[in-house]
Amino acid sequence: MSEPLLRTEGLTRHFKVGKLLRQQVLHAVDDANFEIGRGEIVALVGESGSGKSTIARLLARVYKPTRGEIYFEGRPLSSLRSRQDRLAYCSDVPMVFQDPYSSINPAYRVTYGIRRALRLHRGDLGRTRRRQETERVLADVGLVPSAAIAAKFPNELSGGQRQRVGFAQALAFSPKLIIADEPVSMLDVSIRIGLLNLMSELREREGVSFLYITHDVASARYIADRVLVMYAGHLVEEGPVEDVIQRPKHPYTQLLLSAVPDPRAPLGLSDAADVGEPPKVVDPQPGCRFRPRCPYAVDECETVTPLLRPLGPARLAACHVAEADVGEPAA
Amino acid sequence: MTLPSVADSVEPAGATVGSGPPGEATRRHAGRDVFRAVTRNRKALVGLGLLVGFAVLALIPGQIAPDDPRAKVYPRGLGPSLHHLFGTTAYGEDVFSQLVWGTRQSLLIAVLVGGLATVIAVLVGVSAGYLGGTSDGVLSLITDVILVIPIFPLIIVIAAYKKNSGFFTLVIVLGVLGWSYGARQLRSQTLSLRRRDFLEAALVRGERKSYVIVKEILPTMTSLIVASFLGAAVYAVLFAAGLQFIGLGDPNSQSWGTMLYWAQNNEALGAGMPYWAIMPGVCVALLGAAFALVNYAFDEISNPALRLRRLEHKGAQELPSAPPAEVAADPEKILQVRGLTVAYASDAGPVVAVDNVDLDLKRGEFLGIVGESGCGKSTLLYAIARLLGAPLAGEITSGQVLFKGHDMVSLTEKQLRHIRWREYSVVMQSAMNALNPVLTVEAQMRDALEAHSEMTKREMRDRSKEVLRLVSIDPVHLLSYPHQLSGGMRQRAMIAMALLFTPDLIIMDEPTSALDVVAQRSLMMQIKELQERLGFAVIFVTHDMSLVSHFSDRLLVMYAAQVAEYGKTRQLFDHPLHPYTQGLLEAFPSIRGEKVPLTGIPGQPPDLLRPPAGCRFAARCPHAHERCSAAPPLYEVDGELVRCVLYEHQREAVAAQ
Repeated sequence: MSEPLLRTEGLTRHFKVGKLLRQQVLHAVDDANFEIGRGEIVALVGESGSGKSTIARLLARVYKPTRGEIYFEGRPLSSLRSRQDRLAYCSDVPMVFQDPYSSINPAYRVTYGIRRALRLHRGDLGRTRRRQETERVLADVGLVPSAAIAAKFPNELSGGQRQRVGFAQALAFSPKLIIADEPVSMLDVSIRIGLLNLMSELREREGVSFLYITHDVASARYIADRVLVMYAGHLVEEGPVEDVIQRPKHPYTQLLLSAVPDPRAPLGLSDAADVGEPPKVVDPQPGCRFRPRCPYAVDECETVTPLLRPLGPARLAACHVAEADVGEPAA
Repeated sequence: MTLPSVADSVEPAGATVGSGPPGEATRRHAGRDVFRAVTRNRKALVGLGLLVGFAVLALIPGQIAPDDPRAKVYPRGLGPSLHHLFGTTAYGEDVFSQLVWGTRQSLLIAVLVGGLATVIAVLVGVSAGYLGGTSDGVLSLITDVILVIPIFPLIIVIAAYKKNSGFFTLVIVLGVLGWSYGARQLRSQTLSLRRRDFLEAALVRGERKSYVIVKEILPTMTSLIVASFLGAAVYAVLFAAGLQFIGLGDPNSQSWGTMLYWAQNNEALGAGMPYWAIMPGVCVALLGAAFALVNYAFDEISNPALRLRRLEHKGAQELPSAPPAEVAADPEKILQVRGLTVAYASDAGPVVAVDNVDLDLKRGEFLGIVGESGCGKSTLLYAIARLLGAPLAGEITSGQVLFKGHDMVSLTEKQLRHIRWREYSVVMQSAMNALNPVLTVEAQMRDALEAHSEMTKREMRDRSKEVLRLVSIDPVHLLSYPHQLSGGMRQRAMIAMALLFTPDLIIMDEPTSALDVVAQRSLMMQIKELQERLGFAVIFVTHDMSLVSHFSDRLLVMYAAQVAEYGKTRQLFDHPLHPYTQGLLEAFPSIRGEKVPLTGIPGQPPDLLRPPAGCRFAARCPHAHERCSAAPPLYEVDGELVRCVLYEHQREAVAAQ
């Protein structure tokens, strides 16, 4: 198998929390292995606090991994020492943030980030070319008339428009992989679909890969090829998106899917109210982290941390009982 | 909070494009807006006028007061006259000349001390906030120590040691001691900025840290930095004058403080030379006031939220007002809303956020209100619950709200207190903001119970436990603080508090929008279960239509301040009538069935300041045609109400509007 665009090996990130004398270790991400192919849209789904955003920030090099390694085009990120190398990586892997109201500096015109990106990463462009390029990426994300939009300040744009500016900034790099951290969750439902369509379009047109982070499984199904499910710092399931949604293996994935409001389907009576919460993983013991909420837990779950294991073509799940008892979703 | 935000442009896209490059056009445009904001602000005009006046005195004193201020050539102790505007001193000097020449030093001290203090404040405050950790600890400690030591005595001691050491010592001493207040503010501002994504975005883009501090953080704090400068300037003017007045500093210098010192020494007030003593004091006060006024004005202009706007009643009367709708109270219905219209004041005129809305709620009914942000759904809730007012400067301009026989619009605050919480309660969008972070859940419940009932301590405790159990929270959490609960539990606690008196109506404003799907689902199930058990009615506002699909009895779809469609939930989902409702339903990807390409609703809702004359949805509507240029009324179709001319031929309009 040829080298994927991005690959992680045992990616782990811990944070120290608590007081000086009672210091504890928060396990935000533990031992995550995944790949993102060229031109592929991979969705990373899970509840808040599951470590999704930490993975985004590890890939964007905002955080350094506690353990493990990220390989981009076969090259480990820890080997990027010179500023040149790091800038090159930044331009290959930009990030789009969740909150369009806080991710654009209010003191500058909306094109500020785009112009800075062009200056940093495509320094050979002259002034006029930079302006043309700025207007081109704005038009690319559907912000027209781009010359008029370019002159505006962030507070003059709506949330949806701001988030498009976020994507325009990412495009200014001519990127290979865009990390989109819940890019639509703060927007109105009516304009979300427009941004999701934009992401698919960019993939078609520019061949960009996406890591699409979300807690909305339906939107993941809408645009992604493959899905990674995360729970309490662990990747618990992985597979082609349609396959995972039709036949979820991990009990957590099943719970997640049953919680998606679907006006077209009747309300299932089996939807028992689950009042559990994803745990804060502080100084964890071995064992499955989902077991307190899991209807299928067995003794083994208490003591042995389940590892991702193959359960069908391109399907992986980290569950001791998945194959035996939970082959089909509870109807 | 930055200066550009003054350019709160309401012009449509494209209006700012001039002939030149777009950047320039807006710069001119922004400049004009700043100019207009300044000239409209009385504080700015007075403050800047005074400052300019003093600056002229400081720059060209010779032109204004040709007399040598130190020439002791005139008769001593003269009263005011045309030649000696404020008389002469006990030494035969002209008081007016001394005042004019003294301006230079006072102004110079203000500017230099302000500048020095601001530079230190920025360096210390921003580094402490951005670096965090130990650096923050050390820098904050220094700041706090300087902040609490009594500065005036300290300066007296220092100045006494360095007596007659002159102007620059004074500047340095005042500057070094005057930065701490500004540094504190800048630090906390930096701390809050650190959580903003645009700083992380800059790092992801590949910027250096130094660049982030200088070019990303500082420009967003312009207003604070300016405020810190102006504050330090006021302090410098007052302190310098004070020090010189008590004889510290160079007694031969030309300044207002020195004038005061000599006047005091000669008992000028008693000796018939009042202006010698009074005028320097007036000048100090005026200069200080000028800086302070500019400071206030700057704050107001750069932060439009500070400006208090009132709906002008002249403007309000121009609004189309609905015909007075008298409703007979219907015992079946606990809430009847007729012709409710709410307007906000804005700089550009009144904005009608809720336009002539009618709705009814039966006992125990669940009503969902859906729409995009800015369509007026929250305002409608606030108006019904009578929560409008500061800081939401909205006003009910017409209409009627009948709740269990109370005319809610005309109730006084005192009357409201009797029914609020007991008969209806409100659950807000963000529990973290609605709960008090320093009180336990029990204390907050006790506050509510004490304010609205006469229970004993024991009864209050029992009731609190009971409502927590209702929402499936272990009563041990009575002793928890809000931050110790998860997001889902906080929202449950909010609902528990709303249930304290078992009200007949609970109004919920997007209570689940901050939660994950799983927590959201379980909270919805819980609300529905409680509603069925306790029989209260619910008004539930959300922008996510799919969320209420299985829970609400009826749905009200709002678009651009008006009711677009109103009917039974199931019917509305199965056969949506209004193109907007159809668009909303089309906007959801589903996890079941065929994967179909969706389009959502292109465009944005109209600006409510100038809503389109015809159908408000026409610009985004796939079915729009020329008939849409006239505002459509609500039509009744199969028991549903819909505002769209597509249904004109089917039924008569319900309410002529």
